[in-house]
Amino acid sequence: VKRDSELLAPIRESAQSGRPMHWIRVHKLPDFAYFTHRAHVAAGIGCVTCHGRIDEMETVTQMMPLSMSWCLDCHRNPAPNRRPVSEVTNMKWTPPRDVRLLAAQLGGRPVNPPTDCSGCHR
Amino acid sequence: VSRTYWRSLAQIEDLPEYRDALEREFPEGASELPEGITRREMMTLVGASLSLAGLAGCRRPVEEIVPYVAPPEEIVPGIPRYYATTFPFRRSGYGLIVESHEGRPTKIEGNPAHPSTLGASSVRVQASVLGLYDPDRSPSIRLKGARKSWNDFVTAWGPLAQAHAADGGARLAVLSESFSSPTLARLASELRTRFPKLQWATYDAVSDENRLAGLRQSTGRDVDLMLRLERASVILCLDADPLLTDPETIRHARGFADGRRAGALPTSSGQASGGAMNRLYAVEGVYSVTGAMADHRLRLESRQIAAFVAALAARLGAPGASSQAAADVPGVDPRWIDAVAKDLLANRGKGLIIAGERQPAGVHTAVCALNTHLGNTGKTVSYYETKDAALPSVSALTSLVSAMKGGAVQTLVVLGGNPVFDAPADLDFASAMAKVPHTIALGHTVDETSSSAEWHIPRAHYLESWGDARAVGGTLSVVQPLILPLFGGRTPVEVLGLMVGDKDRPGYDIVRDTWKPILGEAFDRKWNRVLHDGLLAGSELTEVVPDVKGQAFAELARAPGAASDLEIVFVPSPSLHDGQFANNGWLQELPDPLTKLTWDNPALVSPKTAETLGLANEELVRLDYAGRSLELPVWILPGMADGVVALTLGYGRRRAGRIGSDVGFDTFKVRASNAPGFDSGVRLTKLGRTYPLSATQDHGSMEGRPIVRESTVAELRSAKKEEARPGALGVFEEEPPHFSLFKERTYDQGHQWGMTIDLNTCIGCNACMVACQSENNVPVVGKIQVAKQREMHWLRVDRYFTGEPSGNPEIVFQPVPCMQCEDAPCEQVCPVAATVHDGEGLNVMVYNRCIGTRYCSNNCPYKVRRFNFFNFTKDTPDILKLAMNPDVTVRARGVMEKCSYCVQRINRAKIDTKLAGRELRDGEIKTACQQACPASAIEFGDIRDGSSRVAKAKADPRNYALLEELNTKPRTTYLAKVRNPNPDLAERSGA
Repeated sequence: VKRDSELLAPIRESAQSGRPMHWIRVHKLPDFAYFTHRAHVAAGIGCVTCHGRIDEMETVTQMMPLSMSWCLDCHRNPAPNRRPVSEVTNMKWTPPRDVRLLAAQLGGRPVNPPTDCSGCHR
Repeated sequence: VSRTYWRSLAQIEDLPEYRDALEREFPEGASELPEGITRREMMTLVGASLSLAGLAGCRRPVEEIVPYVAPPEEIVPGIPRYYATTFPFRRSGYGLIVESHEGRPTKIEGNPAHPSTLGASSVRVQASVLGLYDPDRSPSIRLKGARKSWNDFVTAWGPLAQAHAADGGARLAVLSESFSSPTLARLASELRTRFPKLQWATYDAVSDENRLAGLRQSTGRDVDLMLRLERASVILCLDADPLLTDPETIRHARGFADGRRAGALPTSSGQASGGAMNRLYAVEGVYSVTGAMADHRLRLESRQIAAFVAALAARLGAPGASSQAAADVPGVDPRWIDAVAKDLLANRGKGLIIAGERQPAGVHTAVCALNTHLGNTGKTVSYYETKDAALPSVSALTSLVSAMKGGAVQTLVVLGGNPVFDAPADLDFASAMAKVPHTIALGHTVDETSSSAEWHIPRAHYLESWGDARAVGGTLSVVQPLILPLFGGRTPVEVLGLMVGDKDRPGYDIVRDTWKPILGEAFDRKWNRVLHDGLLAGSELTEVVPDVKGQAFAELARAPGAASDLEIVFVPSPSLHDGQFANNGWLQELPDPLTKLTWDNPALVSPKTAETLGLANEELVRLDYAGRSLELPVWILPGMADGVVALTLGYGRRRAGRIGSDVGFDTFKVRASNAPGFDSGVRLTKLGRTYPLSATQDHGSMEGRPIVRESTVAELRSAKKEEARPGALGVFEEEPPHFSLFKERTYDQGHQWGMTIDLNTCIGCNACMVACQSENNVPVVGKIQVAKQREMHWLRVDRYFTGEPSGNPEIVFQPVPCMQCEDAPCEQVCPVAATVHDGEGLNVMVYNRCIGTRYCSNNCPYKVRRFNFFNFTKDTPDILKLAMNPDVTVRARGVMEKCSYCVQRINRAKIDTKLAGRELRDGEIKTACQQACPASAIEFGDIRDGSSRVAKAKADPRNYALLEELNTKPRTTYLAKVRNPNPDLAERSGA
């Protein structure tokens, strides 16, 4: 992929030298909030839901507020953000018009995201 | 029976200072800044990393992500990995499972498959992870203080070895700690082949040399013993502390608890207990944890134990026991001995007599003969040959020291240990060492010994080492590193390997060489299995049957008898042992199980002795004994035998590091090679000055209320059905009607977490406290802050006395974490909703909301909330940050914190099971305290699930809630303590 891209030169250099890349963290949660991708991916929350259209960004920027109330909006009502697990990495996925079809795709398992403090703060 | 329980002498005497301290939630001056900065405050307040530069002014600091270039196989950031290893300690090896986050070990648990830990752990095991990250560990090899490299040492060793090989090593000496390790034993024997005239001495400051000598007398061989307390119905401990200071503390505590369970819960091995509760007798002068658990405890000086054994042997009709010895032991009610003898005879094959390490060899020989006479050998106690071991010997050290003084030693290699600090004072090891031209010392820090040696080699921590050990019963265990040596340390295996072959070989190769003949064919497959399991299954040694001779009791008469002067007794510190763990803040701040003192080791005396000598707590005395003297403070411990002065070893280190140096008093200064255990002829002189001590015993008192409850087996059995309802046992007032002013929440959905703590099996060992500290990033605050009641432990172990203070009071231990009240008083007063309830019944603490009003702590009837008066963790040295659990928030100054039922463990298990698409199983979530508890006293789980262990425990008639009448509805409840007194002695308990 883009073997001669100048932008990717530091990555090729890192791979060759063995010196790790120093990435700048863009999507950052405070240390007192525990977050795991595992649970979110398994629940069918797409990358794009929190990170935005990374594939269209010249420089990655934070699109979503990543605030507690924003997290809680989804934890209280996750349905609008869910998609089949197979589509999690799909940047262009849109929900089918037929709600029943989506329900079938999601399978029967409900997700019960925690809304108590202890869900994320330990 | 109505009993009163008290925590301290100040409380029972109701001194005004006590009352004053009690009525203040926070002591006087608690919210003031410290005035003069002392050295220890310097440590917590300033610390090593003054990393103030750089980030000032940024609203949002830039954070970098530095990923692996080539990710190591199987490592997923954020997902911990677990490896088996072994913690070698004296001749024991604790099999462990260590949690590692991205390559750094953070938490240690016992290995359930290992006979020495059985899945549990101890304070030292838990705290050893902090020892790995000790910032004072030595970072480099030193030659006369100058930094050198390992290669420099290898180069220097070559000609030295050649010179010694010329005369067969006659002028070469090795001083090691005792060990039980196939690799070290192989290398030691190869070293002797290379240098046949080599002088090798093995010395332990706290040793079982007397027991080895006694058993050698019985069996003609060097044997170790293995106790099976779970099989014993009647246990008699003679000046012994199998439950705490014995190296096999974990295993013994588990066995004792299994034999102790009188309630509905099955034992840890899964068998239902038929109510066959064991009975423990303890005869001792210094109050020990074992004595605290005893159904009958007899106060007797250590020097009188031999006479006691002789009297007991006569009553048991042991062949060869002199019947004249049936004459009384001075000061002991003969009916007491009669009753014990009768009980032991009635339980042949199910009894067990244990003699303490400090007792002379003759007592051990006699006890071995008595156990054999009673048919206990092979059942509750078995013997097996010591194999691959170096056995401690004070006489070997003595002859080494005289050779050193006589100039007969050219090169001395100290292979671990700290003899300059802990060798007997009469040997004057330091000046002997100064006479040796070449001294090489291996040490974790540049300690007393290393600093006076020519060469110092930093020693690798066991979590950085390859090695092996023979654990109790002979099980072969492997020491596997979890991390490369942080400070470039070397192991005893590597140093010996160099000495044997003059070649620098990695420890891994050396250990594998040892194991190749052990495992035989298909080595790599079997080796990987051993690494995975942590031990080699089926490698136990065969039992040795002692050949008891008639003269087993002959030595007893020669033991020192009664004397009217004071007796001095040396006891190892339950935390620091012989001082090797002195630089560990968790262990220094851990309250002693009995005195509840932190950061110090005063001389312990009984109330009567103190009265006779006119002494009070914290009073400084000069102790004169055998021509040496020592100044130290006095602490009065009820239940000590009168006329006994107990000195705790391990404190007063001069070069331990920033935590452990100059803490407490060096009691090794007065300990001589002829009496390392106890002796007569000590004198105390009042100096008229005092020395402040920091005890936690009066902190968080819940005075006058029925806090601990206890019953007896007989009461439990005779209780009528209707009385055997939960909470009906013990002493408590009529309950007032319960109602709440607030709208009560119902908890009928999902998981509802709850906990029970069994006071019957809790031995008060504090393992839970250190486990909690390690799991939840609980800071150390220092002696001065402890005195101001600012200790941060989320879980404390209260110790209550009951009975006559100047007599023989009994003890009850009670661990107190957050009770997780359903109607929590703390929540009702928080102005910012920083402490609220979650749907699973947890009282959660939201640090980021907390503004530090401390109202919650004021309103907590259990006194389990802790406040960060200072930024205790901010200035932690960088290296210590590696010990932090990344799943738990590190708290800042000004916030409250408290037990969370290890919510991070609950959530991890919930996420894991959700991803696996299954329900949580009972027992899948273990809180840190529960997992560490060697006595399995703590149960945790879902109380809505009627089949869970915790729900069953709560259905036990012994179940009660602390301060039930306050209607807080605690989720943590207690199971009342049950005593099993001998009916023949019923009248005299507490005498």
